Amino acid sequence: MWEARIKRFGRAALIAAPLAFLVLIFYYPLLRLFQEGVVQEGHLTLKYIGGVFAEPYFRHVILFTAEQALLSTLLAMIIGLPWAYIFTRYQFPLKETLRSLTIVPFVLPSITVAVGFILFFGNNGHLNQLLMGLFGLKGPPLRLLYSLKGIVLAHAFYNAPIITRMVHAQWERLNPAYEESAQALGAGRIRRFFEVTLPLLLPGLMTGAALAFIFCFLSFPIVLALGGARFSTIEVEIYTQFIVLYQHKLGAALAIIQIALSLLFTYGYILLEGRFTREVEVTYSRSTVPLLRRFTLGKGIVWLFIGISGLLFLGPMASVFYDSITREWAGRTVFTLHWYSYIFQSQYEALIGAAPLRSVVNSLQLGLSAMGLASLVGLPIAFVIARYRFRGRRLFDTLVMASLGVSSVALGAALLSAFLRPPLELGSGWLAIVLAHSILAYPFVIRAVVPVLEGLKQGLVEAARSLGATRLQAFRDIELPLIRRGLLVGAIFAFAISLGEMSATIMLAQPGLKTMPLVVNDLRAARSFGGASAMSSLLILVTAGAFVIIERFGERLFGGTRWSR
Amino acid sequence: MQKRSLLLILIALMVIGVIGVGTEKLVVYTYSSFASWGAAPFIEEAFEKKHDVDVQFVATGDARMMLTKLLTEQEAGRPGADVFIGVGSVDLSMARGEGLFVPLTGEDIPNLTSVREDLLIDPTNSLIPYEHSYITLVYDSQVLAVEDIPLTFEQLLDPKYKKMLILEDPRTSSVGLAFLLWTIHQYGDPGYLDYWRKLLPNVLTITQGWSAAYDLFLAREAPIVVSFSTDTAYSVIEEGSTRYKIMLLNSQGYRSIYLMGIVKGTKQQGLCKELLDFVLSSEVQEMISTTEWMFPANRETLLPVLFYQNAVFPPDPVMIPAERIGGNLDRWLLEWAGVIVGG
Repeated sequence: MWEARIKRFGRAALIAAPLAFLVLIFYYPLLRLFQEGVVQEGHLTLKYIGGVFAEPYFRHVILFTAEQALLSTLLAMIIGLPWAYIFTRYQFPLKETLRSLTIVPFVLPSITVAVGFILFFGNNGHLNQLLMGLFGLKGPPLRLLYSLKGIVLAHAFYNAPIITRMVHAQWERLNPAYEESAQALGAGRIRRFFEVTLPLLLPGLMTGAALAFIFCFLSFPIVLALGGARFSTIEVEIYTQFIVLYQHKLGAALAIIQIALSLLFTYGYILLEGRFTREVEVTYSRSTVPLLRRFTLGKGIVWLFIGISGLLFLGPMASVFYDSITREWAGRTVFTLHWYSYIFQSQYEALIGAAPLRSVVNSLQLGLSAMGLASLVGLPIAFVIARYRFRGRRLFDTLVMASLGVSSVALGAALLSAFLRPPLELGSGWLAIVLAHSILAYPFVIRAVVPVLEGLKQGLVEAARSLGATRLQAFRDIELPLIRRGLLVGAIFAFAISLGEMSATIMLAQPGLKTMPLVVNDLRAARSFGGASAMSSLLILVTAGAFVIIERFGERLFGGTRWSR
Repeated sequence: MQKRSLLLILIALMVIGVIGVGTEKLVVYTYSSFASWGAAPFIEEAFEKKHDVDVQFVATGDARMMLTKLLTEQEAGRPGADVFIGVGSVDLSMARGEGLFVPLTGEDIPNLTSVREDLLIDPTNSLIPYEHSYITLVYDSQVLAVEDIPLTFEQLLDPKYKKMLILEDPRTSSVGLAFLLWTIHQYGDPGYLDYWRKLLPNVLTITQGWSAAYDLFLAREAPIVVSFSTDTAYSVIEEGSTRYKIMLLNSQGYRSIYLMGIVKGTKQQGLCKELLDFVLSSEVQEMISTTEWMFPANRETLLPVLFYQNAVFPPDPVMIPAERIGGNLDRWLLEWAGVIVGG
């Protein structure tokens, strides 16, 4: 009797702790800020929110924000889905490493991506120069940037990896028996994919698409840098109100509209997710085909796709690297290590505690801490969503995703303000930044784990329990190994979010706490564009290395010895 | 075993970042380029030698981000800084409106008497200038010959400059805001909107900030960019090139003045005043030109020869007074955005 009570209490605590954390660190500061947008002299007012909708310019911005996000998500799916297939279907050298690296684009500061895109896809970029040289053209054949095309392309660069990772995590666990039975029944390859495989992959695909959509919906520097004059998103307006004009009322009203739209979208997606998820048999091994041996037409198409999409991902990054080893001198381009010696120097460390290299350590520390905290918060909530049936579960699911859909400028302002007053007087600094990053990152853990958990056959756990395992043992020995890929993907995204985050970090940072993206920004502001490219190249290398290590380490940590491959 | 050692490495990594705390601190908020690569390291070292104090520059973002941070902290009654360096003249109305800074006199800051008088734009003197510059157009002389460049705002509308212009967004960039204000100064309100409508076909893109715009310019995406009249000095001294030249529309340049002040509520007003005075001393002012690539505020400062020869002083600098900006800025930005997006 007592034992059962203690167990129930323990379970309640496991669920209540992360929720209390969210209420205190996220909802409370955010609502404090939001009330500025709906309260005037102690009375509720819709003046500011109504004012936004009454202004034709704002209406245009809201519509455009949604339009570009939708197009970007579509392109990200078109690129991301085939990559998930390639990773699932084929075997090739360095596959595991490459899979770890797919996430790298996701962490790059938008300013670096913008520069890479300009250098590679620009009217005077490497790609156009190459094509002009090859075909003897006078003008640039590809005019991609400074239009909607540029925005959509750069968003695909960022978000296709999300789709690939989310879909692949599911595909790899999909029991091939489903497809085999369809094949035995005479279904052709294409029909098999559309009628059997794709429906089973829909939860992962939709998770990826939903995350991508929200990201593009909140995008701001990419839109300004690669879209240009006629493109503006809600986030740009929020920045203007909070940072340039310091007018919190209209800023808060815009942020409320933005998060309401993101949440509305999330809710719709969660409704659909519930409809499409079905219990499936999972497997540990799907057979793969070597990509390099025995050339077939199908593999030719795969190679073509790898080549073209490779340009999209590698071109901009390679251009940034090239920029970091060249320099203009007396009108000529010369190769140099000048920029690297510039960022590897340590002479400023004593003065401001922020030598450029120190930022590497800062970024990794913050990233790992945020990853840990986000997993601790996200996993129990994912469990609640996947395992418990209660009224308003979908609404609950939507609300816990709110931090994904909130403006990072508004969140930075909200946290800074809340952390200066009781009851949350944390001030600025390391802890404040870790908390902010975890808040932004935990939804990834939830979204990566929930579909996998829901797809698990509940019978497995029940079987274990009927054999005498406790609930915790069942989780550790049955569920955890089966969801480890999903959890790992979520944790890695959490790490990535922390590495790339800028707005909240700027607001909450203290001297000596510069992160890599902040240093890239500083170098650019100080006219050291080559130095910024060198730092960006270092960021690419360091994060790539970190992802490979985390993934390997994580496989071992979650995999245990029980289920050796 | 391996698992444990990896965990230990993780924990060690997290523990490394312990920050030491000094004795008496003087916290200065400023923008990142000033703190990292500008005059700040020199100021800190020299000032700490003279006084028994630990000067700490905090600069996690650009000037506006830092000002927002300070304003938010002040609202909570806990300003984090004693001194702020880097309020742009375009943001003056926002900074002063909040009553954030301590009014100063010539007695407080002896070096103020050597400052060019046309830079003293704050009547209460709570924000005093330390450097200034002119926003102008910069062009690539290998693409546009000298005889081809526009000399007036009207000539800039010529279709031969189609998609040749890179601008900064006035909503996010103070350089972009300066250019917008310049067109308002030239064409009046609401005449500027019509000018922008006509200008749009010649604009390649409008970027978030100055560095993004200048990066595009250096990548040769377009030959004209809104930037500073000191850029020529930079490219001669740092890049050995006279390729990039200044283009003065109507012989004008939009004056941009950068100010500093003592934050209300500081317990160390005396030291703060000494610090501001030190920033205005010729010792520090001489560094401004080639670290900040701006003109020093102190008129007695000697400029390096190459800087003096190559930086451009527009004959007819213009500026809209802060009082006028304050009451109109939000409307101007909204109307401007309406033209840009709708046009």
